[in-house]
Amino acid sequence: MKRFRGIGAIALAGVAALALAGCQQGSASGGGGEGDGPITLEFQSLSDQPTTQAAVKEIVDQWNTDNPDVQVSIVQGGWDGAYDKLITQFTGGTAPDIIHFEASSIVSFAQDGYLADLNDLVAPDLKSDISQGIWDSVTQDGKIIAYPSTLQSYMVFANADLLAQAGVEVPSGDSMTWDQFEEIAKATTTPEHYGVGWGLKSPTATVMSMALGFDGGFFEGGGADASIDVGDGELAVPGRIHDMAYADKSIDPTSLTQSGSDVLASFYGGKVAMTVQGSFQATNMAKDAPEGLNWVALPPIAGTAGAVQAANPQTYSINVDSPHVQESADFLNFFMSGDNLAKIAYADALIPSSGEARAAVEKLAGDDQAWKQVLASGEGLEGPPFLKVSKYQEWKDTVATPALQQYLADQISKDQLATQLTDGWADVNG
Amino acid sequence: MIARRPRYATVLMYAVLAAYLVFLGFPLLWLLSASFKSSRELNSLSVNLIPIEWDFSNYANALDRQNLVTAFGNSMLVAIVTMIVAVLLSMPMAYALARLKGRLRAAGTVWILISQVFPTILIIIPLFLVLRSLQLNDTLFGLILVYVTFTMPFTLWMLQGYVAAIPPELEEAAEMDGAGRFTILRTVILPLLAPGLVATAMFTFVSAWNEFFLALVLLQSPELYTLPIALRSFLGAEGQTQLGPLAAGAILATIPSLVIFGILQKKLTGGMLAGAVKG
Repeated sequence: MKRFRGIGAIALAGVAALALAGCQQGSASGGGGEGDGPITLEFQSLSDQPTTQAAVKEIVDQWNTDNPDVQVSIVQGGWDGAYDKLITQFTGGTAPDIIHFEASSIVSFAQDGYLADLNDLVAPDLKSDISQGIWDSVTQDGKIIAYPSTLQSYMVFANADLLAQAGVEVPSGDSMTWDQFEEIAKATTTPEHYGVGWGLKSPTATVMSMALGFDGGFFEGGGADASIDVGDGELAVPGRIHDMAYADKSIDPTSLTQSGSDVLASFYGGKVAMTVQGSFQATNMAKDAPEGLNWVALPPIAGTAGAVQAANPQTYSINVDSPHVQESADFLNFFMSGDNLAKIAYADALIPSSGEARAAVEKLAGDDQAWKQVLASGEGLEGPPFLKVSKYQEWKDTVATPALQQYLADQISKDQLATQLTDGWADVNG
Repeated sequence: MIARRPRYATVLMYAVLAAYLVFLGFPLLWLLSASFKSSRELNSLSVNLIPIEWDFSNYANALDRQNLVTAFGNSMLVAIVTMIVAVLLSMPMAYALARLKGRLRAAGTVWILISQVFPTILIIIPLFLVLRSLQLNDTLFGLILVYVTFTMPFTLWMLQGYVAAIPPELEEAAEMDGAGRFTILRTVILPLLAPGLVATAMFTFVSAWNEFFLALVLLQSPELYTLPIALRSFLGAEGQTQLGPLAAGAILATIPSLVIFGILQKKLTGGMLAGAVKG
């Protein structure tokens, strides 16, 4: 019986501890000072790399020092589950003032009226310093719903020694055609290694982005009225990847089932001569590639419409219900200034949206060959049609990804892929 | 007389057991190994369990970043209090459910089953709104309340099975000796229910310790994050994972569960061996 008295005592102690420690509401629940004194803006940041978090903190600290009346408090979040968290916060009226996310994920928030229109709030210099193609990616029904900050492109990284062994010269122009890429892949495929390792476990983002190089926009119109058109331009990229894997046998078919990061080990181990990755992998390669691996970034791949890819930037939006929309915009205009954005972009190995920040990154990168190609690939980024489509995310997850996975696993034909993508949209969009 | 087991059968039995243990333990071993590997080694094709170069910085990185120590304390508080409250509430309720006859019992059982049917994602927004109106959003108390509510149906179901297995004759004998309902519960049922309570406590602790989604949505302040939230922040955009620090953090997060299991497991087996009715 003593044992159970002990348990009872522990229970009481636990409840007492709970009363003391658990009842206190967290710092993110209080809202930003409504009375006298400085106001506090909640800034939900999703930056995940330590260097980027440090850069964000440095910028916020600088703002707080310069603006004692408008203090910014960072609420550190994570990318995983961010959408679910935000939809709950918006519905419950507890969303932060400033929200970090990405263009393709904020469309539904904008359509539900949760994001402030920034047309009159973005600093004029900043507005003119960012290309219209990138502004298009964050514009819904004429409203600017976010500041576009950093972007990624898909790039080809190559093992220069394996290319040399195959007698292939490393391309050096402004861009490289798909035909050139396929020829290099074939030339570098040997019994010991494949020409390309391409992590396409989640293939939709890559296909939707690179299809723009063939004028493959997939969607026309926006919102709930958007219609889909899956033609030759849309099917060009998956078709070419499929042919490389199963006709040329120059893509490692196993890699098509892996994530991009998974394929890096094969690239580092010399099992593939080239790999297609997000541009941000340039910094991981610099850190993780074995000493002696002679890797280079190749020029952006160009389709019939040029080296065009989708701009799906990381974004900073303002909660329309924030009592401090103007102050939030003032902070973001500071946050997005050339030097600040360059710090963040450089830390994340992403392409900054503004010209001034790109120039600053060029300075930071010095003679780094990979960074030169990363920045070059940013020239062809355009706002893609899918960012205007309300149910894109649902179509992507439930229709496009499984259909593309089946096609890239050689389980369905190109015609079946087109049918699944088209019929699936009709089902999703009602 | 019991026939002696052949020696080869014993060897075979232990070999199968060892293989099963390796199978079960391998992910943990791999995690342990990954926590001591450098980023470069983790991104290579080598599959050795013992790191080529031991790298202890992952533990320092894990502890330095993401408020891991604070999150550890939050998780411990939430899991222990959830465990205690859920077990204390479930015990009398399970007894009533197991021993009561009639419509109330049937209604209770159906209600428990129905409450298990709704997926979390379906009720998360109404739940959030309710907690907000009670000023309990973004508090550990609110999270504990939710965890207790969510684990109760299963713990009740689990415990009432244990209660039902206790022969009613024992209670009848105590009644004949003049014991009241509360005395019977305290002196007869409770000691025999110990293994069930321990199993339920372990289940509740681990459920609360590992839970991610509710904590993610209900907690907004970084200083209140629980361990699963802190650990998930090692997963970045585009599937970028800081595998070394994540593995180190996961190893540290596993330790309390192992300790709790180590302590309670003895009581679990000990309780099971305790006899009740002589044949």
